[in-house]
Amino acid sequence: MSLRQTRILYRACWTIALLIAAIPFIFPFIWMVSAGFKSVTEIFGAPSLIPRVWRWENFVEVFTYQPFARQYFNSLYIAILVTGLTLVISSLAGYALARMRFAGAALLMLFLISALMVPEEVTIIPNFFLMRWFGLVDTHWPLILLPTFGPQGVMATFLMRQYFLALPKELEEAGKMDGLTRFGVWWKIALPMSRPALAAVAIITFLHSWNLFLEPLIFVSSLEMFTLPLALSNFNDSYGLPLWNLQLAATSLAVVPILIVYLIAQRQIIESFALSGVKG
Amino acid sequence: MTDSIHITRRGGQKSRLTLKAREMMEAWLFVSPTVIGFIIFFLGPLLAVAYYSLTEWNLLTQQATFVGLANFENALLENPDFWHVVRNSVIFALGLVPLNMALALTLALALSRPFRGVVFFRTVFFAPVVTSAIAWAIVWKFMLQGEGGFINQVLALVGISGPNWLREPNWAMAAVIITRVIKMVGLNMILYIAALQAIPRDYEEAARLEGASRRQIFSMITWPLLAPATLVIMVITTIGSFKVFDHIYQMTGGGPENGTLVLAFYIYQQGFKFFNVGYASTLAMIMFAIVMVLTLVQVALRRKGME
Amino acid sequence: MTSVLLKGIEKRFGSVEVIRGVDLSIDEGEFVVFVGPSGCGKSTLLRLISGLEHISDGELKIGDRVVNEVQPSQRGVAMVFQSYALYPHLTVKENMGFGLKVRKVPAQERQRRVNEAAATLKLEPLLDRYPRELSGGQRQRVAIGRAIVGNPDVFLFDEPLSNLDAELRVHMRSEIAALHKRLSTTMIYVTHDQIEAMTLADKIVVLRDGRIEQVGSPRELYERPSNVFVAQFIGSPKMNILPAADAPLLCAGLAAPQSAETLGIRPEHLTVVEPRDGVLRGTVSLCEYTGAVTLLHVLLPDNRICLVLHDEGEVPAVGGEIGLSAEASNIHFFDGQAQAIRALPH
Repeated sequence: MSLRQTRILYRACWTIALLIAAIPFIFPFIWMVSAGFKSVTEIFGAPSLIPRVWRWENFVEVFTYQPFARQYFNSLYIAILVTGLTLVISSLAGYALARMRFAGAALLMLFLISALMVPEEVTIIPNFFLMRWFGLVDTHWPLILLPTFGPQGVMATFLMRQYFLALPKELEEAGKMDGLTRFGVWWKIALPMSRPALAAVAIITFLHSWNLFLEPLIFVSSLEMFTLPLALSNFNDSYGLPLWNLQLAATSLAVVPILIVYLIAQRQIIESFALSGVKG
Repeated sequence: MTDSIHITRRGGQKSRLTLKAREMMEAWLFVSPTVIGFIIFFLGPLLAVAYYSLTEWNLLTQQATFVGLANFENALLENPDFWHVVRNSVIFALGLVPLNMALALTLALALSRPFRGVVFFRTVFFAPVVTSAIAWAIVWKFMLQGEGGFINQVLALVGISGPNWLREPNWAMAAVIITRVIKMVGLNMILYIAALQAIPRDYEEAARLEGASRRQIFSMITWPLLAPATLVIMVITTIGSFKVFDHIYQMTGGGPENGTLVLAFYIYQQGFKFFNVGYASTLAMIMFAIVMVLTLVQVALRRKGME
Repeated sequence: MTSVLLKGIEKRFGSVEVIRGVDLSIDEGEFVVFVGPSGCGKSTLLRLISGLEHISDGELKIGDRVVNEVQPSQRGVAMVFQSYALYPHLTVKENMGFGLKVRKVPAQERQRRVNEAAATLKLEPLLDRYPRELSGGQRQRVAIGRAIVGNPDVFLFDEPLSNLDAELRVHMRSEIAALHKRLSTTMIYVTHDQIEAMTLADKIVVLRDGRIEQVGSPRELYERPSNVFVAQFIGSPKMNILPAADAPLLCAGLAAPQSAETLGIRPEHLTVVEPRDGVLRGTVSLCEYTGAVTLLHVLLPDNRICLVLHDEGEVPAVGGEIGLSAEASNIHFFDGQAQAIRALPH
């Protein structure tokens, strides 16, 4: 065999191996959508990908069984709010930590790094009592405040700080010479140049909020206040009968739009996660 | 003459203080939302949970009574559940971390250089990362049903009678680990790809000219250069494995026979199902300690690596 | 037109002293160049004047005003940065007008001043481009344009030409000189390139380790350096330093002053002569032919290398022995502290 043939064969083997490896990553999504159209009996009947009977009504019942539209909206608006807040707060703090000299900066960094590492589960109990004391249980406030100021927000702060550090300092100095205040430098020069970092923070924060589960489970109890993940897990056990096809239909409705956005912007989204991982 | 100079100098110094002080004030204004949020939602609760862990506080007592280290004694010495949970968490971590990292590295090695289809594969392997853990668990839970579940139907086609995955403790643990790996491996794959791409190609090319095989290049060049990344990924993944909650909640609910009851789930159960606030806080403190130890190990190893 | 006065200026970063007491007066309309090896504090000094760094001690006056506590934008200075610092998200026009906009100058006036500056610097065709679409020289011009637009009392240049290639550097150097001639505004210019310093400056300030070594016109620094450091820093190739005892060998009848320890002689002031007794003798170890002149490396008996610029007559062969001589007026004497001895027997 020539060198070229060996190389082609080698490539082909790898590609086939990767294709096989891809099955458990891709198949659950296909199965999910397919089963969402089936009846319960068909889901557990002979395996097939194309439903024998397309039960479109599954997707209607999803909305009548629970206030699913309302829950969908809850997830969406909470995620948008958390993202906006996080962008402002993390870019302000990240800028100060990157660029300004102030007493206590080193100590603050140390504190924030420790917060980065501690899981939400550790502080969730006192936070529950705190929120109850504020009268915020069964509202959306905990789902907005805790991620914004929790480890996720700290991670965003570090990501922004890292990015600001890499920006050329002279541009900001030129802004200062041009008469901008600190705030003006941040708003007119540092932020416009940080679009990639802001986009990364926005993407990661949005997805984190969208997929949040522990906090909604603990803080929210009425159906109208549910967010999507909580609503999805709630198709399980009402009337003692699992509404499996409904649950899968609802899950499809929750997952597919995100997947479509992901497929369109996959490059940007994957890069965002790569950026957030470099923090360590 | 000297006097007047002296006075102007002093005047100058005074206002210089204000310039510097002004910068400092501005800086604290910039970080104030973060600092205030940090104190209210992290530092305060952390101190509170440390205190709760020293109290007896449950449905019967309805309020916190200071009991010193009794909860820790209970957890570490008396309550058999605790060690069962720790054992589960350790098994979960020991299963998940090596599997996840080995798979992530393999995929990263295959996908770190451009070739036709590389974007497709990266997109596929990363897709579960952006998916909600609940959704992922729901789908796999159905596919892993004992009778009529998709996996067993497929196995039946080739003549294997699959187990009732989520109803037998050992199989349940295996199923939870594997589905979690599939969900999260994309993230580590991306981190490894980034680390691989940061290694200058010169090294590999020089080694190839000297006649090194692919395997030698990997074991003698790539792998040692990846060590810092491996360390970070390992710690992040291990900490992540100790805080896994939603996945377990949805797939097994900690069962069967508490076979997948891990630390994070146990905290939730004790705190919010049984209202054992004191005991649950003790568990939270233990989790905090584990995470801190892991972090310090990472810092220490990295220092050592730098020397 | 404005003067700048520095009185006992000091700057510390933590415990590190970067500027250790600088006194300097810059006259109206003067072109002053700060020069020195890297790390000498020349850029820091410029940044202290601009206000980008806080002054640790001392007093800074621009015009009649003490500006220690004045914000950078209120000091009436404009700065041209080494990296140009053009905002990447703004066009050339927007970059140049940015400072005016911040200072709330009306749009019409802004437009007029930007156009005026653009005309001066021949930037009109580039006004709507983004910085990334410009060449290095064009960016440099826009950076200068941005400084002009604000109509500052003092221009500050921080190594503005160091990112350009050699040819462009010479060209931009002459443009900056022409600009100074036309505007006659006070300009302070930082560079590590002594040719730039010599060609541009009315007054050169040589800095080392945060202290001023000497202030003077290019000619003064070249002809009357006040110590060995300045003597060797100014002029290229650099001045030879020999034992003071060699003085009579170089120039018959010349006696070194009592306190002199070393003497300095520039390579261009040495002449090759016959290697007879009573002259400084050495062997040619290397000849570097550059066209107009030849640089000889001459190995002296005490194993020192002495550089000689040889510009006329036959070039001596490598390995051959030669003699060296010089005129008394070109020989500088330095004492044990490396300070120049001024009472030269001219």
